[in-house]
Amino acid sequence: MKEINCLGKRCPLPIIETAKAIKELHPGDSVHLLADDPATEVDLRAWARMTGNQMRVSAPNEFLITKSKVD
Amino acid sequence: MVHITGNFLAESPLSPKAREALADALDQGWSDQGKIAHSAARARILRDQAMESLAQGLKVRPDELEVLGEPALGHFYAIGGLLRAKDNLVHSSVDRKEIFALARTHGKMIEIPVDISGRMEFKSLQKAAQYSGVFALQAANGETGVTQSVDELVETAGNLRVSCDYSIAGTRVELPTKWDSAFFDARSWQGPQGIGLVAIRNRSAWQNPLPHIGALRTPQSASLPLLICAAVALEEWLEDEPSEIKRLRTLSAELREDLRSIDNVDIAGDLSGSLPHITSMSFLYVEGEELLRTLETAGFSVDSGSACTAEDLQPSHVLAAMGLLTHGNIRITLHHSTTAVQIGELIEAVKSAVTDLRAS
Repeated sequence: MKEINCLGKRCPLPIIETAKAIKELHPGDSVHLLADDPATEVDLRAWARMTGNQMRVSAPNEFLITKSKVD
Repeated sequence: MVHITGNFLAESPLSPKAREALADALDQGWSDQGKIAHSAARARILRDQAMESLAQGLKVRPDELEVLGEPALGHFYAIGGLLRAKDNLVHSSVDRKEIFALARTHGKMIEIPVDISGRMEFKSLQKAAQYSGVFALQAANGETGVTQSVDELVETAGNLRVSCDYSIAGTRVELPTKWDSAFFDARSWQGPQGIGLVAIRNRSAWQNPLPHIGALRTPQSASLPLLICAAVALEEWLEDEPSEIKRLRTLSAELREDLRSIDNVDIAGDLSGSLPHITSMSFLYVEGEELLRTLETAGFSVDSGSACTAEDLQPSHVLAAMGLLTHGNIRITLHHSTTAVQIGELIEAVKSAVTDLRAS
């Protein structure tokens, strides 16, 4: 699984990096995001709602994002 | 120098009429109203006239209304005056930070969540109403413009005492059928900064929360010229409101529709459940501060709820509570003076700024 390290990076960078990584994946594949900006969780949730992908918090400052559909 | 073609900030300059009233009031209302002098008597008359006019405009009784020279204390007076030690402070997750601060100091609170459209959840309020407490009811949210169904909420709140926050809603949301205290800010009707008004309907339940001697409910130290200016601004505002509300709603509808055509935009609330003059939107993959600066350079001043523009660098608790995108956020406020041409120009500026920033 691809890992993106955005620790220390401010939003929207973690979301931009996630979107870039997801683009290269097939539906059903996931990326693992490390990010500690306090806006990450709420923004990632909103991003998932807006783009039709899925996300969950897997540990503090760690997120699992799954591509749900073909671009 | 940047030529500002559009002010879409929450604040707006005084109207020429209100400014003139302020200048006159500085001439007429300079004396200490508590003294015997002729000038003091004149100041008292001016104050009483202003308070009566404000009460009439806000649809409260003159004897219910108190003025505060520090509007930020208004929440404390309105809510704190009703709150007893055993009470819960029931408030929403999108309330102002002042309310959270009051709740934290008080120690007993129940937070009512909101849905994605910013409306308070009735079920949680129903549960909270089983205990004694004060319900801090925010009629409209300053960050998103989302309004609440105040009558239905008050009914659901049962026996909770109700303190209404009308600092943003002003005259644009009717007071509920039952309330115990209410707070207004003159800025909501394009009046001057520095005038807050607390209305106390339930005299037996309200106690001055600050140390005091005698029956005075507030310090009575607000500036008389500013108070008179606030009264004149409200009169002028109410005269224009019937046509302005319609006009601003139409402009906001156009603004929302046009900006919705941009990919990946998250607009807070529906216009039908919002004030006609506030629109909050967030653009995915865009940094709020950069968007703000780009628009400012193009001559458009707007507000933002994004973390990068906040003092504490925290994302907006209002957008977060609604589950909306917190980065790339701008808030557009329309005023009585805002024209359709300015809106058209702003829409184009936002579209081009978002496109450029996403490409960079």
